[in-house]
Parts: sequence; structure tokens; C-alpha cells
Amino acid sequence: MAAFLVSLPVLAGLGYSLVASLGLAGPGAAGFQTARVVRVLGERAIWAGLAWSLWVAGAATLLATIGAVVVAVRFRSRNRGDRIARLLAIIPLPIPHLVAAVVGLQLLGQSGFLSRLGAAVGLFHGPPEMPALVYDPGGVGLILTLAWKEFPFLALVAFSVLATRGEALEEVARSLGASPRAVLQRVTWPLLWRGLLPSVVAVFVFVAGTYEATAVLAPSNPLALPLLTLERYTDAALARRGDAFVLVLVGMTVSLLAVMAHEWTRSRWERLQT
Amino acid sequence: MVQRARGTAVIWRMWRGDPSINAYVDGWVAPRLKARYGITLTAVEGQGAEIVNQLIVEREAGAGGSADLVWINGETFGNLRKEQLLDGPWAGALPNDRYVDGGSAIIGRDFEQDPAGFESPWGKVQFALIYDSARTPHPPTSVAELGDWILAHPGRFTHDQQFTGMAFLKVLLYALGGGIDRFRGGFDSVAYAEGSSRVFAWLEKHRDSFWRHGATYPAGVADLHRLFANREVDFSMSANQNEVVTKVRQGIVPTTSRPLLLVDGTIANAHYLGIPMNAPNTAGAMVVADFLLSPEAQLEKQRPDVWADGTVLALHRLPAEWAARFSALARDPHALPADSLAKYARPEVSPRYHERLQADWRTRIRQQSL
Repeated sequence: MAAFLVSLPVLAGLGYSLVASLGLAGPGAAGFQTARVVRVLGERAIWAGLAWSLWVAGAATLLATIGAVVVAVRFRSRNRGDRIARLLAIIPLPIPHLVAAVVGLQLLGQSGFLSRLGAAVGLFHGPPEMPALVYDPGGVGLILTLAWKEFPFLALVAFSVLATRGEALEEVARSLGASPRAVLQRVTWPLLWRGLLPSVVAVFVFVAGTYEATAVLAPSNPLALPLLTLERYTDAALARRGDAFVLVLVGMTVSLLAVMAHEWTRSRWERLQT
Repeated sequence: MVQRARGTAVIWRMWRGDPSINAYVDGWVAPRLKARYGITLTAVEGQGAEIVNQLIVEREAGAGGSADLVWINGETFGNLRKEQLLDGPWAGALPNDRYVDGGSAIIGRDFEQDPAGFESPWGKVQFALIYDSARTPHPPTSVAELGDWILAHPGRFTHDQQFTGMAFLKVLLYALGGGIDRFRGGFDSVAYAEGSSRVFAWLEKHRDSFWRHGATYPAGVADLHRLFANREVDFSMSANQNEVVTKVRQGIVPTTSRPLLLVDGTIANAHYLGIPMNAPNTAGAMVVADFLLSPEAQLEKQRPDVWADGTVLALHRLPAEWAARFSALARDPHALPADSLAKYARPEVSPRYHERLQADWRTRIRQQSL
């Protein structure tokens, strides 16, 4: 019941998007039609944008996860040094994505801080010589910025997984004579990835759909899905504004598929446990 | 009307992206409205398309209006009229309307649409490029020269994807498509097809010499200003020829920046105020609109250290002392002389050109970068 209540706004939004995609509501509504859905789904730009958003989400999530796992395993003890390291790791957490993106732009832009540093040591002689890390088709600057922003969240989850579930099982393994490496491989890592998986999926879906950081750092082609959605919604031609609702449904489908993939993975390992 | 509006609040949806404009509205207009008419003015963010969408959704939901006054022009006005979301006619009833230069092609027609009293003029601007006289002592003065300049200086020019960039494309359309007269009098698909193919051919020819080889474009004019100020490109642009004045004063662009008109003509347009159908406080909105139209408010707005936005009032209709004050406005060295502006001003044409150009640019140029 609680889950239903919490998801009510999302369901309402989904319902409205469905109705609007079919031309029955919203800006650019002109009566029931399936032509719009067909036209939008047939546009190359949509799929290119979706693929690009998924690429950025995948790369950023992977980097953030690797960072979180490494830091959680390395700094897991109760001593002072490790506790300080854990605190430092989660500092970026309260920083808004937009701020992180603007900082990323100032650091990594061709006329940004790194570029000026490079010019000072004679590496570059002007903005065009610095490699393009922002507005680039590979999305490097965006991936790095988002990975940096998501890393503290995943690290926090990883810390708590290890702290609550790790100790007992690892003790048992060690007392049975397992080497530290074997403990890591056979006990710690499986615990960690299962505990992290829901958060990793959440981060992936979030990054795929996030607007603010993408608006600051992404290139104009391929145009990331969230940017494309807003662009259609504010199109000069009223009739094309309904396209945005179709794109919202595309984005939602991706989220649902990710959650389903997660559920399927979970059901597989839970079967092994029984 | 003034009595009815006394003590009320007026919510004004307008673009809040320029600190100079915000300072004028919040710091000069609002206190005076409060003192003289007892009206509390609150300006909130809302740009063209968002305003239209919000009004459509409010009407769908049967909800009360959330804005009394909206800042609009061009295709936004067109969309609102088509959807019958604007209240009116009311603009001709304002006391200060008698001073308006309604005969001007720029003010009397909004992208060739007749305001018909559904929107009241507020200001006018003219498109101009911005260059740095320190970096570019001899800037190009025509589209052809600009093309040559771009080829000679690869990677130092680009345009943005929003309103200003599209205005630049329209400048190209007029220049390469045979002059503005070819495009007047409503949307002509033949003229558009020929003109746009020339525009895209020009862009294709020069695109490899654009910034980042024309593979990516700044999202909006603010990003373009940043690239210009940081020396990543040597030109910026503005829908307001005097934006250079205010930006130099704010220290956002180098002090050696100057505006540049192209001899092929640049687009001048006016911007207006509208009142939505579901506005809760129509009387208040009209008082505000009238105040904004007053010679006093228009003069303040035109000051180079405030906003430098052109007035919509006809000097010959004003009382002599006001006309004199407008003429005597401090000439900032960064501004353009009024007669050059008038000579090269070209009015906007049907909003359908803008719509088509934007859509076609996205598919034919932006998407073809990979």
C-alpha cells in the first residue's frame, strides 16, 4: 500500500504522458492519433540520443562503483585514518549536480583551469590545442563529473554493507583458514556487489535521465535524451511539443527495464541461497 | 482602473536570464509601482515556450491563472493567439499608448502579426554581432566578408542554438536569399526552400572552420558569451545591439568589445507584454503595462548603465522636454549610432520561417556532425 502511495505521482505522470503522446492532452494536442508516436520512434536522433545517454550512464556508474568498492574495502577498519578517509569520500554528496557540472566546466573546458595550467607549463598555446573534454561526442567531462558526484553515494552504501554484514562471515572464513585474498574473493566481494546492486541500478537510471549536469557539459550531437525531451517540449512549432511525452515514455521504459534486470539478477542468487 | 488595482499584487512572467534587466525591474520599476499605485510586482521566470505550455496545461486542468502579465513576442504571441490564451484587446486603451510609435514597421507588426491590442509594446532591439576590437581590429562587415574571415580563422566562430543563433540564421536567410522583400507577406514555401538551401550550403561550406569543426554548438547565448570572453571564439552575438554596453559595464566581456552590424541588414524586432486569459489581476497588469510604457520608465530602460533597450515611443509624439531627454541620452562609446541602426534594420517576417529554419537546421546541420 505504501509503495503504491509513493509511486502515485509517477503513475499519474506516466498516465498523462501516455494520453498526451496520443494527442489527447497537453501542448500540441490535436485529437487522437498514433502517428506522432510512430514518427518520433522512427527518428534517428532519438535513438542516438538514448544510446548516448546510456553510454554516459554506464561509464559514470561503472567508474563510481569501482571507486566506491576500492575505497570501501581499503578503508574499512575503525582506526582514525580510515574514518577520516571515509568522511572525505562522502564530502561531494551534498553538492548539487549543477554546481558540480559548472565546476567541471571551469576545470576541464578548453579555456578552463587545467588548460591554463597546461599553457603555463608550455603544454598548450591556446584553447584549441587542449583536447576537448567538454561538449565532446565521447562525453568525457560529463562522465567524470557524474562519476565524481555518484561515487560518494555508492561509497556510503558500500561502507554500510561491509560494516553490517561483512564482519561475521569474514571472521568465520578466516577462522576456517582462508587466506586474506580468498576471503576477499569468496566472501567480501559477493556480499558487496549484492548489497550495492540496487543502488548501482538507481544511480544508472538517475544518470541516464539527469538534466542539469548534461545541459552544462554535453555536446549538441548526439543530443542526450533529457536535453532532447526539453528541446521538443519548448519547440517553436506547437505541434512538435507533444513529442516530449513520447520521449518521457521512452525514458521510463529504460528505467523499468533496468529495474527488471535487477530483479531477475536478484532472483537468481536468491535461488542459490535456498 | 488604477483604483481597482490599488493594493493588489501582480505576477509577471518574464525571462530572468539577464541581471541588468532584473535589476531594472526589481530595483527601479517595482518600488515605484508600490509607491505610486500600491501594486506589489513580483517577476518570475518564464520564457516563451514555457509560458505557452503552462497556459495550455492550466486551461486543461481548469486551474486558476498563475500570471497576470507575460513578456512575449513573435511565435510565442502567435501560438498564444492561435490557442486563444490572451486577453484583449486592451493595449490601445492605455493612457501612454498615444506615445507609441505604432507606425514603425518594427513595432506595428510583431513578426508580421498584428498585435491588434492583444499585446502592448515594451522595447525594441536589433541583432548585432559582438567582436573584440583588440583581437579583431578589422572585423568583417558583410556576410560574405564574415565567411572569408571564418575560413581564414578556423575554430574561432560559432553561433548558439537558441533564439540568438536562430536570429543569426535568419540574417543569413535574408542576405543569401535575395533580401528581406523576398520573404515578406506571409510564409512562402518556395522562397523558404530556395533561401534555406542557400543558408545550409553556406553553413556546410564554412562549418569545418567553425568552433569545434561545427560538430557541437553552445546551448544558448550565455554560453557563447562565455566562450567569447574566454577567448575560445572571437565573435559573440546578441539580439540586443546594446547588450555589449551592459556586459562591458558588468565586466563580463572585455572592455574592448564592440557591436557589429552587417551591411546586408540585421533583424530588428520589438518585444511586448501580454495578459493571459486566466489572469487573476487584469486591472493590475494593465496599470503595470501602462507604467512600463511611460516616458519615464522608457527613458530609464534605455540608459546604457541600466539596460540599453530601445524605446517604443515616438519622439515626435512626446512633449518637448521628454523628446529632448531621449535625444540627450549619454552616448556610450560602446553603443552604435542610431542612424546606422535604422539603416540596417530589417523587420521580422512570419514566425513560420523561424520554426522551419530551426527544425531544418537541427536535422540538416546539427545532426550531421558525425
